[in-house]
This record gives sequence, C-alpha cells and structure tokens, in this order.
Amino acid sequence: MNSDSNKPRLLLVEDEMLLAMMLEDRLVDVGYVVLKAARLTAGLALAESAALDLAILDINLAGESSFPIAEILRRRGVPFIFSSGYGFEGLPDIWRNEKVLQKPYDTQQLTTALTGLCSA
Amino acid sequence: MPTPAKPASVTAAKTGKGGARGKTRKSPPMLDLIVGIGASAGGLEAYTAFFTNMPVDSSLAFVLVQHLAPDHSSLLAELVGRSTSMPVLTAVDGTRVEPRHVYVIPPNATLTIAGGILQVCTPAPPREHRWPISTFFTSLAEDQGECAVCIVLAGTGSDGAQGLRAVKEHGGLALAQSGLDDRAMAGMPASAVATGLVDAVLPAAEMPARLLAYQKQVHAASRHKDADGVRGDVASHLKTICEMLHAEIGHDFSQYKEKTLMRRIQRRMLVVQADTVTDYIEYLGEHADEHELLFCEFLIGVTEFFRDPAAYEALRTVAIPAMLADKTSADDLRVWVPGCATGEEAYSIAILLREAMGSQRGPKVQIFATDIDKQAIGRARAGRFRSPLVGISPERQERWFSKDREDFCVIKQIREMCIFSPHSVIKDPPFSRMDLVSCRNLLIYLNSDLQERLVQSFQYALRPGGFLLLGTSERLGHNAPLFTELDKKQRLYARREDSHIHPRHFPSAQRHPVNRTNHAPPAAPEHVDDLVDRHARQALEPWSPAYVVIDTQHQVLRFGGDTRRYFAPSTGAASLNLFQLLDKPLRSAARAAVMQVFASGKRVIREGLSVVLNGLDRPLRLIVEPLAHDDGAVKMCVVAFNELEHAPHAAEPATDGKPDSQRIRIHALEDELRSTRAQLHTAVDLHETASEELKSSNEEYQSVNEELQSANEELETSTEEMQSINEELQTVNAELNSKNEALHQVNSDIRNLLDSTHIATVFLDRKLHIRNYTPVMTRLFHLRDGDKGRPITEISPRINYPELKQDVAQVLHDMTVTERVLRGTEHAPTYLLRMRPYLTVDNVVDGVVLTFVDITDSQRLNHEHARLAAIVNSSRDAIFGFSLDERITSWNPGAERIFGLSAAQVVGQPLSILQPASASAEVKAFFASHQRPLRLAEFEMTWVSPNGESVPLAMSYSPVSNEDGILFAGKLIARDITERHRAERHNEMMLAELNHRVKNTLATVQAIATQTAINAPDLAAFRESFQARLLALAHTHSLLAQEAWHGVALGDIVKRELAPYLHDSDARLNDARVRLRGDALTLKPKQALALSMGLHELATNAGKYGALSVADGQVTVTWATRQVDQRVWLKLQWTETGGPLVQAPTRRGFGSRLIGDGLAYELDGNVTLEFLHSGVTCVIDLPMDEKKPT
Repeated sequence: MNSDSNKPRLLLVEDEMLLAMMLEDRLVDVGYVVLKAARLTAGLALAESAALDLAILDINLAGESSFPIAEILRRRGVPFIFSSGYGFEGLPDIWRNEKVLQKPYDTQQLTTALTGLCSA
Repeated sequence: MPTPAKPASVTAAKTGKGGARGKTRKSPPMLDLIVGIGASAGGLEAYTAFFTNMPVDSSLAFVLVQHLAPDHSSLLAELVGRSTSMPVLTAVDGTRVEPRHVYVIPPNATLTIAGGILQVCTPAPPREHRWPISTFFTSLAEDQGECAVCIVLAGTGSDGAQGLRAVKEHGGLALAQSGLDDRAMAGMPASAVATGLVDAVLPAAEMPARLLAYQKQVHAASRHKDADGVRGDVASHLKTICEMLHAEIGHDFSQYKEKTLMRRIQRRMLVVQADTVTDYIEYLGEHADEHELLFCEFLIGVTEFFRDPAAYEALRTVAIPAMLADKTSADDLRVWVPGCATGEEAYSIAILLREAMGSQRGPKVQIFATDIDKQAIGRARAGRFRSPLVGISPERQERWFSKDREDFCVIKQIREMCIFSPHSVIKDPPFSRMDLVSCRNLLIYLNSDLQERLVQSFQYALRPGGFLLLGTSERLGHNAPLFTELDKKQRLYARREDSHIHPRHFPSAQRHPVNRTNHAPPAAPEHVDDLVDRHARQALEPWSPAYVVIDTQHQVLRFGGDTRRYFAPSTGAASLNLFQLLDKPLRSAARAAVMQVFASGKRVIREGLSVVLNGLDRPLRLIVEPLAHDDGAVKMCVVAFNELEHAPHAAEPATDGKPDSQRIRIHALEDELRSTRAQLHTAVDLHETASEELKSSNEEYQSVNEELQSANEELETSTEEMQSINEELQTVNAELNSKNEALHQVNSDIRNLLDSTHIATVFLDRKLHIRNYTPVMTRLFHLRDGDKGRPITEISPRINYPELKQDVAQVLHDMTVTERVLRGTEHAPTYLLRMRPYLTVDNVVDGVVLTFVDITDSQRLNHEHARLAAIVNSSRDAIFGFSLDERITSWNPGAERIFGLSAAQVVGQPLSILQPASASAEVKAFFASHQRPLRLAEFEMTWVSPNGESVPLAMSYSPVSNEDGILFAGKLIARDITERHRAERHNEMMLAELNHRVKNTLATVQAIATQTAINAPDLAAFRESFQARLLALAHTHSLLAQEAWHGVALGDIVKRELAPYLHDSDARLNDARVRLRGDALTLKPKQALALSMGLHELATNAGKYGALSVADGQVTVTWATRQVDQRVWLKLQWTETGGPLVQAPTRRGFGSRLIGDGLAYELDGNVTLEFLHSGVTCVIDLPMDEKKPT
C-alpha cells in the first residue's frame, strides 16, 4: 500500500455503481490508484485539482455529459478515454479523434486501451 | 389612207400588262418568230398558197387557228401537210413550239401559248364567247412580244381583230390577206384592216417572203437592244425625230414616255426595213406620209384616263361649271364622245362631272359615247380595266372603281352615266341638243374636207352655248366663226348663240355626202361688192327694171328696184313665195314664165302684160332670166319687170276703120276672152291653193321626217340603254340565281344542323304554334312530323312543365332570355330550358326559341365536384393546382394555413414563388418546368412562411391530363411533416437510449457476475446469489417497463423485494413481520434500480442471517421526504428487530459493499449500514432530483 505514490493515478468517471466497482477492482488489481466520480460536479472537481495520469470517462453521467471534464483534461494534457454504451456514434465532432471503449468490455480490452493511451 | 374613225386603241391596261411582261422577258431575247395564222371559211386555199411558198428551212414556227366545228374531227392537219414538208401536228397541251413545225388547233378547244408552250383547254367556250383566233393572238403577243406575228386569212366575221391589236401593242407584226383587187378580203381580213393596225395587206402567197424579211430585221435590230428591249441608238435620236414630227404634224411628243416612243420608232423601223436610226431619219425626210404613219403609231395605246390632264383641267374649270350652272335636277345634261374607243375618255368625263356635282343630285347626265368599233364598244360597256390604271389617281381609283380580281371595274354610279353605242360620225346622223361634245384626236385622222363637215356636225349637235373639246393638235379651220374660243391651247370652244345651220343641210340627210358641194348658207351676204359698184347701181336704179331673184322654191332671195307696184301680198301667213307676193293679174304669167325658165334653163320674155299705175294701164314686159351655176344647173332666176313707155293709141284708129260686124265680132271675142280669162284666173287660183297646200304638207312631212329622224336616233340610243339594262338584268338574274343557290345551301346547312344537333330545340311563333324542332325534341314532347303548325300546348309533354305558357308570355313581354331548370323525377333527365325571343333577320320578334339542354350529367358532375371541393377545402394538407403556363390556379384553406399565404395573394402568381430560397437540387429541378417529371413525383422541402416559421413539407405532385393523355395542368399536395419529423427524432433517440441502456445493463450484469463470483464460496452458492440478484434486477426492470421507464413507485419496489415475507402478513396489521410506512413516491429509473438492488441485498441478508431468518423477527421500512436547500431529499430507514443476535461480518461482502459504498456513490447520497446486536439498520438518504452543476 505504500507504493501507492508510485502508481499511476487514474480518474474513473462512471455513474453506474456496479460498473464502477468492478472497474475499480480490476484497475487496482493491475496497479492503478483509482479516483472515482459518479457525477459531473465531482468529476470536474477531481479533473481540475487532483493529480492525474490518465482518465476513463463515461459520457453519460445521470443525464449530463462528461465533455466538460474532457475539456479540462485536454487542457491539462491528461490522456483520457471515453467509455460509452452509445459507442463511437455518440461523440460530437470535436471529440471524434478520442478513443472510445464500447460497453461492455472485458479486462483485455480495458488494459489494451489503457496501454495505448499511456504510450501515446 | 386615213381611217374614218380613231382607231380603237388598245387600252392603257393592256399597255401596263404588256410592260410588265416585257420586264419579265428580259433575257435571252427569243428571236425565232412564232407565226399565228387565223382563218375560217375559205382558209384552206389560203393555207395551201401560203405554205407552198414557205421555205422549209426557215426558223419560223406556225400555229394555225381555224374555226372548226366542235363535234367533228378535223382533217386540217392532214390537208395542210400536203402543201409543206414541215411536220404538221395537231396541238397537244404542253407542247413546246419548235421552229419549222406547224401546229394545228384541235376541234372544240381553246389554244393559248405561255412560255413558248402550247396550252390546249377543252371544251371551247360557248359559241357567243368563242374567239379562238383573237384568244390565241393575244396570248401569243403577251408571250412573244415582237417575235409574234399574226396573219389573218380568209374568213367571215371579225375574229382576230382584237388579238391583232394585242400583237401590235406588243410590237409584233400583223398581216392580212388581200383579195384579187389588192384590197383586204371581206370578212376577217377586212375587220383586221379596219383596226388600222395591219402592217401589210398581201396575197397569201406573198406573205412568206415578207415574214422572212421581217425576221431578218428583228435579228438585225436585236443586236442594238439593251436588256429592256430598247435600242440604245434610238434614244440618242429621239429628240431629232420628235422635232421632225412637231415641225410636220404640229404635235409635240417630247413629253411622252421615252420608252414607249422608242419602241414605236423601232416598230416603224422594222416596217420600213431601216437598219439604223439614221437610215430611218433619212427615210422620214424623204417620205412625207411616214410622218403621218409614225404619228399614228405613237397614238396607239396611249388612250388612257385623263389623257392630257391640262385639257381635262380646262373642262373642269371652264366648261363644267358653266354647264351645271343653270341646270336643275329635272334637266338633262347631254355629252357626246364620238370615237370613244374603249371608253376611258367617256368615263373620265363622267368622273369629272360626278366630282363637280359632289353630293348634289344634279341634272341627269347622259354621256353618249360612240365608236364604229363594236368590239371596243363592248369593252367600254363592260367597264373593266386591267390594273394598274394609268392616269387615275389613287383617290379616284378608290372612289370610282371597284377591284374585281385583277381588274378594276367602273362603279355603277359612273357606268350608268355613260351610254355606249356603235355609231359613225361620218355616216350616221349626229346626236342633238348636246351640252358638250368631246372629240379628241379623231379629226387628225381625217382629211380637211371631212374635218370641216364633222365640225359642222358637232356644231349642229350642240345646243347654243354648248362646249366642244378637240384634241390638242386639232383645229376648227373654216368653221371657226361658228364657235367662241375659250381656251386656245386646250382647244375648248363654245358654240355661238346666233350661229345656226338648218339641219337639212347636214350630212345626216345626205345619202351621198361626196356629191355635196353647196352647203354654204344661201343667205350668205355677198361681200364682193365694192363702193363703185354700189354707186353705179344706185345711179342706174331708176332706169333699170325692178326685179326679184328667186330660187327653185320660188322664194324671193333679192328684191331689186321699186317692186312695190307689182306686189299685192295675199292675206294669211307671211311668205316670201313670189307667187303669193305678186299682184294677182301678174301671177299666172309670171308662174308660167318661171316654170318655163327652170325647165328649159333659157330666158323667157313675156310681152303684152299691163300694170295699173295711177289708174292707167301701163304695158309691162316680164323678163325671166335664169342664173346658171358653174355646172350649168339653174338654181335661181331673176324676174324683172320692164315697164314700157305708154304707147300712143296708134292702134285705136285702126279699129275705127273696121266694119261693125268685125267690131261686134271683136267684142264678142273680147267678152269670151274675158270670161275665159276669168275662168283661167279661177283655175290658176285653185291650182295655186292646191300647190300651197301641197307645199305646206311637204314641209310638214319634212319636219315630221326630221322628228322621226331624231326619234330614230333616240330610239337607237334607247336600244343601247335597253341592251345595257338587259345585260344588267341578266347580271341581276345571275346574281339572284347564285343567291338562290346560296340560300339553298344555307337551308340545307340549317336542316343538317337541326338534324345533327343533340340539343332539343323548338321554334314557336307568338301563338305557341310549332315552327320547327330538332329530332331530339321528341324526347321531351310526343312530337310527330305532322305537328309543325300545331300549338305546342296540344302536344303531350314527357316532362313536367306546366309553366310553359306563362314563360313564353313573359319572354315575349320582357324580350329577355329566360332560363329554367326542369328537374326530372327519379331517373328522368334534368333539363336546362333556355327561352329567348325569336328574332327575324329584320330584328323583329316573331315568337320564341326554346332549347332544352340535358344537364343530368352536368349536374352529377357538379355534385361530384362539390364533394371533391369539400374534401379539398377540409383537407389539412395544402392542395393546389397550377396551369401549364406555371400559374397557380387554386389554393385551398390547408394551403393558406401551411404556407401562410392567402388565396388572393397566390392565385394567378407564378408557381416559382413557392420555391424555397434554399432549395435542394431536386426541388429546383421540380420548379424548373422543363425538368419536371411527367409522372407522379414526391419530394420534400422546407418552406419558410412569411412569419419566419420553417415548415418541413412533403410534396406530392400529380400531373393532370385530359382523356387523350395530354397534360394540361398540375396538382400539388403539401403535407406539414413537422410532427413526423419530431416523432422520427424521438424514435432515433429512443433507439440510441435503448442501446445505451442494454449495454449499461449488460455491463451491470457483468459486474454482478464478477462480484458474485469473487464472494461465492462455491458454484452452487454463486448460482443462487447470481440468479437472485439478476431476478431482483429483472423485477425492477419489469416494474420500470410497466411504467414505460418513467419511474416506479417506491412502495412497489420495497414490496417486491420483501414479497417472500409479505405473503403471510398483512401490511395493515402492526404485528406483521414486515412493516412498511411511507408516502406514495415515484422514483426515477436509475434511483429505482439502485435502491432495488440495495433492498435486495438487505432482504437477502435478513432472510439468511437477520430478522427474517426466524419466525418472530420483524423488518420495518419507513421513508419520508424533506426539503433541504430547495432540494427534496428522501430518507429511507431499514430496521430489523426480533432476529438472532447479530455478529458484525468479518469481511465486507458484495452486499455490504454495494449498500455501503455503491448506493451512496450512485445516488449521490449518504448510506449508513449498521450491524447492531438487535438487528441490522440501514439509513439511505438521497436527493430525489439531480443537483444542477453550478
């Protein structure tokens, strides 16, 4: 547990509690420190102020979109990946170039996407 | 030889036509002559003589026109063929005339030539209109010009003369056959010569040589001609020739048309065979008569309307006002135009007179126009002139002529003023009591003797003060004193009031005018006396006997000396008759002596007469001396009374010496002598009386004769009038016939119209009697053929129309059209009755016309139309039409609503106003009419209405075609698809949402499975927990689905999760194991799902380990809402009691984690889960609505 400070810090913005729990378990398992936010307000606060290495953003947060968070992250230069049940088509044009994880996804897909994000 | 009358010139119209032809026939000049030969009876002999002498190697072509019986085949070609080796053919339509060929007219045909090609037209016209020779000559002249030659051979009648004029007019050659005496043969050749236009009169055998010479001339002349056919060298000498003519004839042609003059000079050159103009001028100088001939040549064809306008101007300004001045409409104005030719002069005068009279009725004008040429008179009577009319101003042409095809006809008003008749000014008696005699360019053809006679004739014809108009080169000569000169230059004269010539001395009464030598008035004073003579005579008068000069009629012409004592005029009418003047005792002696002198021509002297002077007998010697004329005839004599000195009674003594017996004897003899003398006196008196009576009778007869003569002239004129009236009547009759035919035609047209129309029509008169009806009418009334004339009220109708009678009365009273719809019962047709007054051609109302139009179909269509219109009007869609010219024609209320434009704004406007500003290519293509599809088409567009609202429209276009499939309009339906668009968008959204939810749900299931698997000790436990959790999730989903994902009642979720423990308890009982308490509250789907999963975990835990695992345990669930910071919060409390002792779990299972962390996380609330010994409690506090991000 002491090695947390060396681990990459990941912002997980996901309003589905079960999904968030499962992802958190997996991400912790593969060595991330996970910061969770179920709502836009919480997500914005974390994105603005927390130390972050990368982020997974569910697009739909209880009826609100997570794009304001993405804007902050882009500004800060934090790489992120969208996760959405809508898939690629749900994205406005300005976000078309971002990666999208199509729900549901397995661990393999998740780690591949995160590896790609880090190396980019 | 001067022609006795002015040649009836070819009309101006002919000149015009010839001129036009001449222009079209510019090049190349046709130099091969075509010789037309006309003959009739006796022609064959002439043909034989002609062709025997005709060389066969000439370049001439011959066309024989013979009077043939129409129904006999002719042997002419065969007969002519015997005398020449040239081919002799019967003319066939379309044959080109070749040189060295002879063509013969077929029987019963009209032969003409055009463009060198023969045209045969059968059958020939009826005999009275048949002039085959003239017809052919005319066409030959018009076609060949100066290469036309016409020859008139033997034959009766006058055919050919008219055609010959045309040939001459066009510059051709004309020959006529002479008889044995070198003069033209009687009949056709004579008629031809009478035109004055024949170039040569020759025997038939000599004609070929003349023809060949002529052809040579034509060839020679053609080398000098320009494109107009006018020799250039003539123009340069024209002035010289005109001057020569002016000098010789006194007529100046210099103002005549040059071309015309040049052609005429060329003609004369051909005739006199002069090669160059210089030759001709020489010839002209050497031959005095050539001036005359050239002059005549010049005059041909120059007859025209208002020829020499200055002369007519003189007439108009001087003569006509004077003539009209003292005339009332009851008077006659008589004009004589001798030598009128084809009538232009007469018509010109008629026009002048009519113009001068203006709108006034004026006197009755009679213009007697005469000519010896009957054909010319015929043409003048017809009053037809070929266009263009030379000399007639456009105003006059418009006013006085009517156009009939190519010709101009003199209008009736002018034509009726003129009376044309054949008449010779030389042979026939002159007309009389004329106001004007216009005789222009006639005298110049006559020698001076005839000229004088004619002028006298005109003088007689004129009433005192009447006007005489002559040609500009004509003059009165010795008759000048008879007239007053009004206009010297234009030769206008007026007859002197006092000059009078007794009609008896006029040529009209003379059978042999040539014998007339003395027509000077006998009373003409002898101007030869001079003073010496007169004085000598006065000196001798007492010594010379008194005398009288008498003529053969015993009229005293002169008295000489003192004749008083010898005269004792008889009582009664004054007379110059000598024997009525003489003293009675002298009469018998004088009469005997005078008669003896006139009979013998010798002097007679009667001695022994006595005259009583101063009571004394004085012896008197009567001397009658004949006055012989130059020719020896005694026309007068002098009766002189020579009184002797009174002799002394020398004889008396002698008587004394005689015996008494002798004296007695002498007395007895003297007595006897006295009585005999008395008897003789009586006899002489009787004889004189008888003689007087005879003479007066004779004079009466003479005057009667004069009257008859005049009457005869009048009758001749009347005959002409009658003839023209007859002609008019025939024309009227023909017109009536044609009108009759036209009426017939119209009648049958109307009958066919009535029979073929499908409109029931009936014509009724004022009393409702049927005049006529169409067959369809029988459907409305029981009509039969015989019902015409019956009142319609007697006919039983098939329709119900009791008001018929009063409607008719109404229409006749109001004079208006009445309409009435007659509705049929059940299946009977419905009719529209239109009733209007029956108007005759004169606009008189004479009944009514009823038309019944079957409007059953029309009404049905009207109803159908109304139905469709109702649909269109009530449609929510915009329905509108447009016409082929892209104009909007209809606009329903739906369209007004959808487009926001009223019908008034749109109808009539171009369709393109509906094209949206930002239209797609498809829409633009539709609004461009040429790209519009021809079939049904559908497209969508967005219309921006005037108030700025965008309306999406589904357009549906259908072309409207008639029964033949021809497009005549278009129809458009526009549907507002705003709602549909909204629904589609909603659907799309819903689909995406569903997709999202399914995927989220699957992710949730995945998480449940993962978490359950982590916490499950074995597979059986995993299956149970997993199934239970999935079921809980599924139940909540079903609840949400029941409410269409709008939300779920919280109570329902709680009951659902606690259902296994609820079935044996009653919520209303407080001692039940499960107690629920809370307000009715609806949760959102997300809240419902999360809460239901949490409650599921709580219930499962309670059932396994908690209060519900034992029979006495209870679970209490309460919930309530409250307001915090303007948000509604829900607080739900789960409390377990009465269960086994609770041990806090050693590790956090899935349930605890879900409740403790998950719910708070997901619902953005706070969750407290406590494992008290008495039982598990859980407080879930969550906001009901999402907090808006600030």
